[in-house]
This record gives sequence, structure tokens and C-alpha cells, in this order.
Amino acid sequence: MRQKRQRAGFYFVLPWLIGLCLFTALPMVAAVYISMTDWDIVGNAKFVGLENYITLFKAEEFVKSLWVTVRYAVIAVPLIIATSLTIAVLVSKNHKGTGVFRVIYYMPAIVSGVAVAIVFKWILDPSYGLLNGILAFFHIQGPDWLYDPDWVLPSYLIMAVWGAGGSLLTYLAALKDIPEDLYGAAMIDGANTLQKVRFITVPLMTPIIFYNLVLGIIGAFRKFTDAYVLGGAGKEGNFYMVYLYEEAFGHYRMGYATALAWVLFVIILLLTFIVNWTKKYWVYSE
Amino acid sequence: MGQARLVLWYVVVCLGAVIMLLPFAWMISTSFKAENEIFTVPIRWLPSRITLQNYAKALEVVPIFKCMLNTLIIALPKILGEVLVSALVAFGFARFEFKGRNTMFMIMLATMMLPYEVTMIPTFMVWSGLGFSDSYVPLVLPAFCGSASFIFFLRMYFETVPKDYEEAAWIDGARNMTVFRTVFLPLAKPALVTICLWSFMGTWNDLLGQLIYIDSQEKYTIQLALASFSSMTGETLWGPLMAASFMALIPVIALLLYAQKYFMEGVKMGGIKG
Amino acid sequence: MKKKVSIRKVLSLGLALAMLTGLLSGCGKEEKEKNTFTFATWAAGTELEEFQAIINKVNEAAGGEYKIEVLSIPSDYYVKISTKIAAKNCPDFFWMTQELISKYAQMGALANITEQFQGSENLTPDMYYEGVVASSMYDGSYWGLPWIANPLIVYYNKDMFDELGIACPGPQDDWTWEEFLDVCRKFSGQEYRGNTVYGTVVDGWPNIETFIWAGGGDIIAEDGQTILLSNPEAQKGMGYLQTIVAENLSPRYAEVASLGDNNVWFEKQRVAMYFGGMQDNFENKIAAMGEDEQFQIGYAPMPMCDDGGAWSFDWTASTVMAKSLEGNELAYKALEAVTQAFFEWKIAPPVKDSLENVLEIAPQKAAAMETIGYTMEYARSANYIPEWSDINDKLWYNLYVSLLNDANFDYKAKMNEIQQYSEGLVSKRQ
Repeated sequence: MRQKRQRAGFYFVLPWLIGLCLFTALPMVAAVYISMTDWDIVGNAKFVGLENYITLFKAEEFVKSLWVTVRYAVIAVPLIIATSLTIAVLVSKNHKGTGVFRVIYYMPAIVSGVAVAIVFKWILDPSYGLLNGILAFFHIQGPDWLYDPDWVLPSYLIMAVWGAGGSLLTYLAALKDIPEDLYGAAMIDGANTLQKVRFITVPLMTPIIFYNLVLGIIGAFRKFTDAYVLGGAGKEGNFYMVYLYEEAFGHYRMGYATALAWVLFVIILLLTFIVNWTKKYWVYSE
Repeated sequence: MGQARLVLWYVVVCLGAVIMLLPFAWMISTSFKAENEIFTVPIRWLPSRITLQNYAKALEVVPIFKCMLNTLIIALPKILGEVLVSALVAFGFARFEFKGRNTMFMIMLATMMLPYEVTMIPTFMVWSGLGFSDSYVPLVLPAFCGSASFIFFLRMYFETVPKDYEEAAWIDGARNMTVFRTVFLPLAKPALVTICLWSFMGTWNDLLGQLIYIDSQEKYTIQLALASFSSMTGETLWGPLMAASFMALIPVIALLLYAQKYFMEGVKMGGIKG
Repeated sequence: MKKKVSIRKVLSLGLALAMLTGLLSGCGKEEKEKNTFTFATWAAGTELEEFQAIINKVNEAAGGEYKIEVLSIPSDYYVKISTKIAAKNCPDFFWMTQELISKYAQMGALANITEQFQGSENLTPDMYYEGVVASSMYDGSYWGLPWIANPLIVYYNKDMFDELGIACPGPQDDWTWEEFLDVCRKFSGQEYRGNTVYGTVVDGWPNIETFIWAGGGDIIAEDGQTILLSNPEAQKGMGYLQTIVAENLSPRYAEVASLGDNNVWFEKQRVAMYFGGMQDNFENKIAAMGEDEQFQIGYAPMPMCDDGGAWSFDWTASTVMAKSLEGNELAYKALEAVTQAFFEWKIAPPVKDSLENVLEIAPQKAAAMETIGYTMEYARSANYIPEWSDINDKLWYNLYVSLLNDANFDYKAKMNEIQQYSEGLVSKRQ
């Protein structure tokens, strides 16, 4: 009886499995083959074996763009999680107007990357931008942001923090699931707000933090749109996906670009495995 | 909570809100500016004279409302498919221990990791080979097999539900589908509303996918309409573009305002009969 | 048990379907005699309406002999074009900018139209300006019909020149680059309307071709093989750019973007001279400004390069035809008819004896006509080769930007390095 019931789970995941076979598997298999060819998209593909992978590991730009991306990911992923968790806790309170605030904090996530990029071009402008204008008000000489190689990364981090509300909904949905009586009990024990967050909210939120961590890693390594639009001095804005896209559609080297994609795939997969392995140490479960 | 803390809360939250809204404010203000006021130095935050000419022009350049309607035609079935099927699959992954479950789940996660840019062309070739050119079908049909990130999200959500909830139902002799429908779906309401929104916004903001699959202008979606305001040999119409972007944003904000109360609306946990 | 079977059925059906689609996608579509042609364009919005009107007119004139249908690609133009070609779903006609023609021709996507072009009764290569029609040529053949030319001229702020007592260049001035730099120097450190002004603005625009030509050099020889970057002429040309940076004849690189695009420096009267395409609509922009912000525009041709030509970089595009239509007479007829119709649409038409069209299309350019007529004779492109995207990357990031950031940058050594790199690329070509 029990075993039969467990097997029923397979039927539930079946639709996804069909989708995998129909829509996902074929292009992925094709992508394995493409990565081993010299293919300019328009003409015929020529099989070259592992040549693309060999070229790739020797390419200066591969190392550079990966480095740009890794540095960004290491800072941005925890930064975004901390910011959005803070926002979520702030707007989970039921004061007057909270609903509107929830929408406002979520709004950066509802506009497309291109629109965000255009606006940030103005905000980060060295001479007349909003940010340096505010700094000037405090008598601070702002940097050249995207025009100074050293400030390109901070510029992208600012944009990332601004868009941190994107995962707000996931936290809100989880926050509401924390039973009120837990807080009540803590109150009786004399816990302050910080302690309540530290010992009740965060532990109960770990599954959702885990989820956002995995998606955050995927997102950071696949950062593309705003970087593609804005770039950055000294090629510091040349994120991995920007490099990949340029190779594919700027230089028509789809075989090479696909090899780049598989390397990225392996990197993200490994990171996910590591995160998944640590899961048992910090993620709360029933 | 004390008065002082409430005031502090409002101050902090308002300050954050202002920062979040700045780019939108700039967009909206630009949409009401006359052409020669858009790029001024230093930036002019408010138009000296409010004009509606950008809105008139925007509506003249592309049929924005029709494009919104077209986007809805894609978005609605997509929401239905993605949300329902993802919930089913997530339920399967979360509450059953069948053979190959973990492997399959990892494969599913892995499908999210390969950039779309490199599978886009092979996928397009398949659809094109099947005769679906200039059609919404390639954009909608895959939704009915669920979406990996939604499944991931919902699985995590279902996993935190205490075991005794369903055990009780099973002891009652309820079938799996019944348990799913009567126990898990209601429990996951905030999460389901969330992914409904994600699904909708995914469609509303998708440019590359729609660009590749849609050819004729009668089928244009809102993102294709927005893209029409700039081109290589024509001038970018900044004012009308901002006006159109703002118009495109209104339905999303309205939806968000409507849906936000569900994010926090809890199902009384104790309300389920054990 | 029953259920299990059905699952296997579904799965095998799915697999079969997947395989079938794979097979199908491998086959090309059957070519049949057709008289309806798809025309892909990056025109969108208002521009698309104009485009559609032209196509309608051409269709009407064809009287049913053929029909052109419009396919607008409002974003990521070449991504969609190449994807469509890969899926054997290539548009019959499509626009292509000059630097990609050799690439697409080499990849085998374009129809060779040399025979039809040369043998035509309506539109032949010699009717075009020489420098413009060369842009659609690669490997000795023509691959498309240019439909627009937008070469550079020098726009200048006449009021600023007059007020600061500096002599304006003439509309057909034969000034050299040295003389141009001298004019720039006269503006150095000058105040005008409360701002420090500069002679010109250079921030990656004008493009590197302009400067390399200035010394009488070029990037790639006409044979499409020989790289000319290490020639003294090419390096001398880059020397003019070095002078502009070293002597601060232009605002600093990071500063330029602070006003938005570089043309804003001219519109806001912060620089005296601007290298702009003929199409740049300063006239109407200035007319729309407040009265105290308006100024008078003057026009001059590009400075004369050291080889005696006032070479002007010409942004140009051609309409190309899908490979599958090579030799198709009807398709070529349609292509020709629609190209000729474009000559009455955009400035400047790339064919000789059509200067009066400019006045019809853009009456605000009346005062520029002398300069435009003169410049068209010198409009040209570089000899773009399939390897151009890689060479251009190096020229831009490793040479141009480096020089903009640091006037002491050893640009000659870098040019020699890019020379070798480019030769390596060309030698690998099959």
C-alpha cells in the first residue's frame, strides 16, 4: 500500500518528464553537439571535436570575464539575500499602507532589464548623475562609476541591491507561514526584535533562503541584460554571458559560444551541488 | 509596538520606497515632458509644462492596447499551464519517495543552468520544422509541462508542510489527487499567487523569445511594441517610449496591488481537520 | 499494470515525436516558383509606416507580377536574421549594414547579384557613387544593392566662430587635417556663453577608419588580404587622433558621456565642430530649442587626407537577397524596383544625379547642399572582410580606447601588434 502510494509520485512528475523529452532534451543534446563544431549559425557546422573547449581555456577573455562574474557573484548573492530579507521583514508588518509599500519594493522586478539599464545610466553618470549629485551635497566627490575600471563592480552592485526586491514575494509567502504563537512565546521569554529575527525568523526562513541562494547563484552567473547595455570601463563590465553573447551573435561563433555555455553550466551545477550538500547543516525542515 | 517605533518604521520604509521609485519617477516625468526637455543638463526632474503629446504619439506609432491584448492571449493559458502543472509536479517531488526522484530533480535543476541563448536556435529549428512559424504555440505549449523554477519553489513550499496533515487524509482513504486538491493547494495559496504573478510578468517582459517566434505585426506583444520606438536608421522617440513604457506598466502594477493581499493572507493552519 | 503500459506508450510517442521533429528540421523547404517575397527590415514604428508605404507603392506598380511582404524586426535584428537562416526560413530580401556583407557572403547566405546588377537596364554599378557601391562588394562580386548613404561632414557652430573671431571653413574647403587641428587649437581655453569650449568632440566617434584614412593609409587593402595597419600612413593618421587627445582639443573621454551622446556637446554649444552624418538632424533639433539656445549651423567637408582625398566615412546599408534566390530574375526585378524607391526616402541617395532628392526629402538641408554634393564624391567604406568583427574589437578596445585614456599610449606598437593578429586571422581563412 505504502509503496504503491510512493510510486504515484512518478505520475505527478510525469508532465514535467514529457516536457523534458519534448522541449528541453533535444535542444540540449543538440547543444552538446554544437559545442563540438565550428558553426557560424548561417552556414554548415563542421565537427571539430574538443577544439572549442581547448581554445576556451586558453582564451584571455574567458578568464577575465569569468573573473568579473565570480567577483560579482561572491558579493552580490549574499548582499541581495540580506537586502531582500530585510525588506521582507520590514514590510511583513501589518501597518496602514504596508500593501502599497510591498508593491513599491517589488516594482524594480517588474520592469525589463533594458529599462533599468537606461535609467541607471543617468543615475550613475559621473558629472550630472543623481548619485554623484547626492554625494556632492555632502561634499563628497563621487567617482566616475562605469567609466572607472575600479568602480564598475560597485556600480553593478548598486543596481543589484536596487533590484533586490525581486525575491521579496518568496520571503513574504514564507514569513506568513511562521506561526504567530512562536513570536508570542518569545515575547513572554523577553526576547527583543533582533533575537526574534535571529532565533525564529531566520531559521524558519532557511528553506526559502536556500531556494533564493540557488536561484541567486544561477542569476548572478547568468547576468546579462544591464551589463550588455551599459558595459563598463576596462572591460570590467564584460560579464561571462556578455562575452558568450558577443561570441555567438557578434562574431558568429556559435560552436565556441555553446562550449562557453557548457562550461558555465558545469560551474553552476558544481556550485549547486555544494550548496545542496551544505543544506542538511543549515536548512530547517520538518 | 510603541509610537516611536512606528514612526521609525515609516521613516525607514518611506526612505527605501523613494529610492525604489526614483527610476519610475524619472520615467513618468519624462513621459510628460516636451521633446527639448528630455535630455537637459543637469537633469530636469519635473517638466516645466505638462504635455500629453508623447502619449498621443505613442498610441499613433504602435497599437499599444492591441499589443497588450495579444500579450494576454499568450499569458493567460501560460499561467494556467505553468501554475497548475508546476504544482502537480512539485507535489510529486515533495511528498513521494519514488525511484529516481532525486536524480530527476537534479536534472530539472540542471535544465535551468544552460543559457537560453544557446538552445534558442535548435529549439526554433524544431518548431520551425514542425511548421509553427509566426505562431504563439511555441511560446505557450511548453508551459503545460511546468516550469523548472516554479516547481523548485513549490516543492520547497510543500516540503515544509507537516507530515500529519496528509497522513490524516490518507487514513481517511482519500486519493492522492484529493489530498493534493484539498490539503496542499489551499495551503499553498500565497505561493500559487506568487508564481501566477511571476508567470504573468515573465510573459509580459519577455522580448527575445517573442521576437524570435512572432513575425507579423498583428501578433505583436507589448515588448515588441516597446522595441519599435528605436531603430538603427530612425531616431529613438524617447518621450513616446517612456509614455508607452508607463502605459505598459499600469496593468502590472494594478495586478500587483490586487494580488499583494494574498501574499500575506494565511490559511489558518489549525483549520484542517486532522 | 495497465497504467504502466500507457506511460510507456506516452514516452515512446514523445520520443518518436522528438526524433521526427529532429528529422524535419534537418530538411530544407521545397523551393517552388513563387512571386511573393518577404522583406525583412529593422525599420519599426514611424519608420516602418514609411517603409510600408514605399512597399505598397512598389507592389502597385508591379501590377501583380510580384508582391513584397514586410517583416519588421524591431530589436536584435541580426539575431533573428541568423536564426531564421539557420532554420532554413531565410527572408527573401533583407537589409544589411556594410561591415557584415562580406561575412554573410562568405557564410553562403547571400545571393551573388553581380551579373544582374551589371547587366541591368535600370540600375547599374556605375550609377552609384564609387565609394558607396564598393561597400556591397566582396571577393570581386556584388552581394547587395546599397539603398542609403550617410557620409560624414563637419557641422560647425557659426555663431561661436564669429563671436570668437575665428575664420569659418568654406562649404567646399580643401582644408587639411593639420589645418583642422589648428582651428581646434584656436578654441582651446576659450569661454563661450559661460562655458569652456573645445574645438571638437572625439570619444570613439568618429570611428577609427576616419583617422587611419587621414594619414593617407587604410586598414585592409583592396585585395581583402593585406593588412595595412603597420604602414607609416596609417600610423600617421592615428597621430592626428593622438594630437587631439594630447592637446585636449576634445573634452576628456569619461566626460563626454556626461552630456548623454557626443552630439549633445555640439547642440549645447560646448564644442565648435562636430563630425556628423548628413542625416543628423541638427537643423530641426535646433529649430525646436528655445530662442536663446538656438544658433546658426555651418557646413564644411571632411578635412583632406594626406593622399589628397577628403575621405568621408559613409555609414551605408544594402538590401541583400537570400542565397536560394540567386539567379532568380523576378526576385531581382523586385529588389531593383524597391531599391530605386528607397532613393526618394532617405538621405542621401547613394546614386549620382539624385542630389535634388535630398532637398525634397529634407528641405532643412538646403544650406548644406554644397557640402553634401562635394562630400558624396569622397564617401567610402573600409574594405570590410569576414574577419572584421575580430579586428574591429582589437582596434576599438586595445587601440582607440587606450589612446583616448592615455595620450602617451604607444599606439604604433599596438597597431603593429594588431597587424600581426589580423594577418593571423586572414591566413586561417579557407
